[in-house]
Amino acid sequence: MRTGTSPACGRALLACAGLLAWLGFASTSQAVPAYARQTGQACVACHVSFPELTPYGRMFKLSGYTIGKRQDLPLALMAQVGVTDVSSNKDYQGQKIVPKTNKPALSAVSVFAAGKITDNIGGWIQWTYNNLATNSRNDTVGHSGIDNTDLRIVGRSENTDQTDMRWLYGVSVHNNPTVQDVWNSTPAFGFPFTLPPNGISQSAATMLDGPLAQQVAGVSTYVYWNRSIYVEVAGYKTADGFFSPLRAGQDIHTPGGVLRLNGANPYWRVAYNREWASSSLMLGTYGAHFKVYPDNTMPYTPTDSYTDIAFDTQFQHISDPHTYTFQYTHIHENQHYAASYAATLASGPIGAGPAPANAHDTLITDKFKATYYFERKYGATLALFRTHGSTDAGLYAPASVSGSRTGSPDTNGYIVELDYLPLQNLRLMVQYYGYGKFNGARRNYDGSGRSATDNNTLFFNVWFVY
Amino acid sequence: MSRIPAPYLAAFIFPILCLVAAHACAQSATTSDDAAAKLASQICSSCHGPGGNSKSPTFPKLAAQQQPYLAVQIQAFKSGARGEQEAHDYMLGMATLIDADTAVALARYFARQAPPQGIPGDPAQMAAGQKLFTQGIAGRVAPCASCHGDHAQGNGIFPRLAGQHAAYLVRQLKVIQGNLRNSPVMHGIIKDLRPEEMKEVAAYLQSI
Repeated sequence: MRTGTSPACGRALLACAGLLAWLGFASTSQAVPAYARQTGQACVACHVSFPELTPYGRMFKLSGYTIGKRQDLPLALMAQVGVTDVSSNKDYQGQKIVPKTNKPALSAVSVFAAGKITDNIGGWIQWTYNNLATNSRNDTVGHSGIDNTDLRIVGRSENTDQTDMRWLYGVSVHNNPTVQDVWNSTPAFGFPFTLPPNGISQSAATMLDGPLAQQVAGVSTYVYWNRSIYVEVAGYKTADGFFSPLRAGQDIHTPGGVLRLNGANPYWRVAYNREWASSSLMLGTYGAHFKVYPDNTMPYTPTDSYTDIAFDTQFQHISDPHTYTFQYTHIHENQHYAASYAATLASGPIGAGPAPANAHDTLITDKFKATYYFERKYGATLALFRTHGSTDAGLYAPASVSGSRTGSPDTNGYIVELDYLPLQNLRLMVQYYGYGKFNGARRNYDGSGRSATDNNTLFFNVWFVY
Repeated sequence: MSRIPAPYLAAFIFPILCLVAAHACAQSATTSDDAAAKLASQICSSCHGPGGNSKSPTFPKLAAQQQPYLAVQIQAFKSGARGEQEAHDYMLGMATLIDADTAVALARYFARQAPPQGIPGDPAQMAAGQKLFTQGIAGRVAPCASCHGDHAQGNGIFPRLAGQHAAYLVRQLKVIQGNLRNSPVMHGIIKDLRPEEMKEVAAYLQSI
């Protein structure tokens, strides 16, 4: 890992300082986004630091984003400018792996339409312009498309002595499994909250851990009883037809561009929540069963199935000046390659689908994160992550940088993040990713001589919402 | 048809008008009370707890609080007289959404809730705090009980302090001392109160 400050990094820091000065000037009135404008409350009412939710933030989300006064122009903006530094950013042929490193780069700009529509209907739609999308030649190009989206209809009732909410219930339509969840131990809003653009990522991820984001339409119903028991059931299908806006901008025509589900796929979630003094605790479980076409452009073939069962917990202590939070999740996935394994044995994989060497595989992911904030302004986070599972040389084949010499998906490492929020809607952050093992090995993991630590990444980022 | 004398007519109509007006007022109060109960149980309770018995010391307990004090404070949040950071972060926006009738009804709602249970703390701290509360500090701080009541139950615009979170009380003493919260009378009384004395009186008040 290079640790010296290059001239480019110096210019980046100067640019960040300039941006900060501008934001400070521009934000002297009320620099808070759509929900804050709707409620008149500051970001810290709902967020430990965005996007991690406080107990009140969870109630706001479960209430369908309907607390407060409807805005005439319910829009918000988000932008990120960062500098990425990969420890070894050349493959064995000397080709650059991650583009636009070691210099400041605007990675993404998002526009949100977010807030209350009626006392019982609200939501948010995020549209993101990715300034560093890559094409087949690994050149960066601009690309825009829908991002996380969650629309809700809710209802509520009080207990008999009218002292507290008894039932809070609703329906959510969204486009990313777990994006509707209110605890930050689940994947969609789990840590890290933002990533280095085009960072080098491991081969394997469970279905609930991102592969279906912005590709599916989910309809879920939930009830929250006495602020303690939360139960949700959902069905996910590929976002086509009426739901196609939920995957706008996705590459649905290229074989392997996205994943395509067969029919409606069930998801469930149960959580126990308790709040006392300045603390809160959640113990939960969630899971899903997905039937996936091996090739997204061939939705008439047999399907493979993935069953995810997960456990998660979250603890938060929010006070002044000390705030600390912990999240953990364990996701166990059973993969049944009924279609792809049979086809691979017979004549080869189905289209661009997987070519598994086993009929059944497992994949397990553990994520733990601990965060401390002083005065909700100065933060430090340590995260540990591990993915491991069946060795399958067909799924995890050798390939430069992204492949596996051993056929194993095993990857583990840590993330250290330091944050400074001079304004509640502005995060200056530095992240460091350190890998102990990558795609099955510590050294020569890809069969081309690359070490796991070569993927270690340092990321400076300025994250602004308005 | 003979005409009804005007005095008889007035005597007949006036009570009816009074009844109609009283009914309209009662109806309006009932409507506001219903709205306030809904607001309190569905929104306020998220921070201030069920029936105003908050769990987090960041947010004050409002149960059994004095009605006039609550009504005045809602106005203070709206006007910016409550200038501490928490008032801006959490309450300013919420208060601006509450109309005058609902504000009064909310104050009524919380005033009629059962008072919070005391939580005992360090005995020595509580004893020192009790002395300060009932007797004050000669030449420096007036007895708190003279305005807030012998049992810290409050009195009109002087808030109930009994059972309140100690951390919240200390924080408010500091913001009043620092003039972040506009309360000139209270500021004058506690301007010389020391941090350890704040903790003592807060520990006592939380315990009763």
